[in-house]
Amino acid sequence: MKLFTKYNRLTLIATISVFIIGSCTFYFVLKYILINEMDESLYNEKQEITSFYSSHHTLPDIINTNEQKTTYNVAIAAIPLKVYNTDVHYLRSDEWSRKMEFGIPSGGQTIKVTISKPLEETEDLLQIIIIVTICMIGLILLTGFLINRAVINRLWRPFHNTISKIRGYKVEEMQEITLEPTSIDEFNLLNRNIDEMIKRVQKDFQTLREFTSYAAHEMQTPLAVIRTRLDMIIQDEQLLKNNASQFADIENSVRKLSRLYQSLLLLTKLENHQFVLNEDVPITDLIRKKAEEYKELALAKGIKINVNVETLTITSHTYLADIIIGNLLSNAIRYNIPNGEIDITLYGDTLTISNTSELAEIKQENLFKRFYRHADVKEDGNGLGLAIVKRICDAAGCSISYHYADAKHFFTIVFSSI
Amino acid sequence: MKILIVEDEPSLNRSMVEYLSSQDHLCETVMTYHDALDKLEVYQYDCIVLDITLPDGNGIDLLQYLRKENKLDGVIIISARDQLDDKLTGLRLGADDYLTKPFHLAELSVRISAIVRRKNVLGNNQLQFEEILIDTDSGNVVVNGAPLVLTRTEYKFLVYLIINKNRVLSKNAIAEYLWGDNMDMADNYDFLYAHIKNLRKKLLSAGAADYIHSIYGMGYKFSLR
Repeated sequence: MKLFTKYNRLTLIATISVFIIGSCTFYFVLKYILINEMDESLYNEKQEITSFYSSHHTLPDIINTNEQKTTYNVAIAAIPLKVYNTDVHYLRSDEWSRKMEFGIPSGGQTIKVTISKPLEETEDLLQIIIIVTICMIGLILLTGFLINRAVINRLWRPFHNTISKIRGYKVEEMQEITLEPTSIDEFNLLNRNIDEMIKRVQKDFQTLREFTSYAAHEMQTPLAVIRTRLDMIIQDEQLLKNNASQFADIENSVRKLSRLYQSLLLLTKLENHQFVLNEDVPITDLIRKKAEEYKELALAKGIKINVNVETLTITSHTYLADIIIGNLLSNAIRYNIPNGEIDITLYGDTLTISNTSELAEIKQENLFKRFYRHADVKEDGNGLGLAIVKRICDAAGCSISYHYADAKHFFTIVFSSI
Repeated sequence: MKILIVEDEPSLNRSMVEYLSSQDHLCETVMTYHDALDKLEVYQYDCIVLDITLPDGNGIDLLQYLRKENKLDGVIIISARDQLDDKLTGLRLGADDYLTKPFHLAELSVRISAIVRRKNVLGNNQLQFEEILIDTDSGNVVVNGAPLVLTRTEYKFLVYLIINKNRVLSKNAIAEYLWGDNMDMADNYDFLYAHIKNLRKKLLSAGAADYIHSIYGMGYKFSLR
């Protein structure tokens, strides 16, 4: 339920109840005043009749009209003064009336006088009040509906503006969000708090990012110490003889750590947009060069690399382009089968690298996940290679996709046509 | 050969001094920017190993000082991967070479040797180990006076071995030197064994003695023994 509908419903119920209660009170107060007035006029009549009788010793003539009826009767007992409502027959019809009874002592007996006046006006009043109330309730409903249609959407516009801006917000891109000030305090409050929250989140995110960067950066000197110390220690052949496998394990671990820190640094730099992609990169030459570089390693595994490339130059960053091709190619070799095959084709602006592999299809959701390693992987990389490729592609505005067919993995990059 | 090592991390500094000294280099060492500047103002070195991050200054400033003063000392920068945009930036600033941490001492040694050979105006561009002679200018290898044809990797490997002679070189270090750090082929050294086998075969058939010794599964050593 929309806030306004809810609010509207509540106010309508409250307004209508207040209106009904008000109308009832109004009716009773008016009725009281009118009856009071009528009683007063009845007293006046009584006064007139009494004073007429005391001066003339006879009762005044009765002129009965539609508006008034007077009767005289002879009573035996004393008549107390009484005023009440009852039906009275006038000249033409019966009417609900105010009736006064009193007695005038006359000799030994009492004359009972009754004066009646119809209460027609009070009934009319009730009707009018009911009609007015119904009309007012109808009017309130109508106004509510009209306001809802005409005004509410405009009033809520700043709110929807804010929502649509937050929806598109990505913290890793460090976007600035400008929320325009509105004339409504609540929305300003909302905007101000969102603004502050975004600043806080960005600061935390920045801190986290810097932490990764610093942590990776601080790893390098200790790693350099371990590696060079190890280089020195293995010169002691007597020591090496007894501990060769331990030293080899340490060496391999240092290598893995060093790869990890380099990958993390690269990722942080990519995320901080520290690379300017404005160099002309002859991607064709780069691919040929890389294929040549990797040929020896591929041949060691009996893998054949087929290169079939058209000429293409892209606007990018040489180092990054080098990493894309390098990472894809080294994956293609590493996870290949002995005597397998790698095909590199470049048609137009579409580069496809496909390879036979010991690994089954990679699930799309895991493909570019950091630190993800295929369950069947025996030779362990750090699980950052494809994540880095993806980040570079995102930064360079080219698309990368993957599919698996005929027991081959296909990676396709479409370089944005710049 | 006179080498100045500018590195503030004491144990890293010591490792480099120990390794390079054992290769008959004369090593001087400083740990701070100002000490380095004092040395550079007075002495000349064949090669300076320069860490960029120093406690009291930036190694790049030292490099720029050298180039402004037209000093011809060779400079090899050692730094973290993120300190310079890439290798090119370092070289553009006037360094002769660039090495990222963590590196292998054998590789540092080869690179220093290459810089010194390049800078050497006297033109001594020859490396020799017993009957093996390499002219690093032309890239020709001669064994017992007869030319030996090697592939590019084999040549690179032989130079590496001769410069780091009598040292135990781990498979890891060799693989990283030959195929770079892009090449993370994990625990598979088949490709390395293939190259060693080929190089050894070629050297033996050219009449050289077998100088490549396998060391306890850890690596290799190029020596007379």
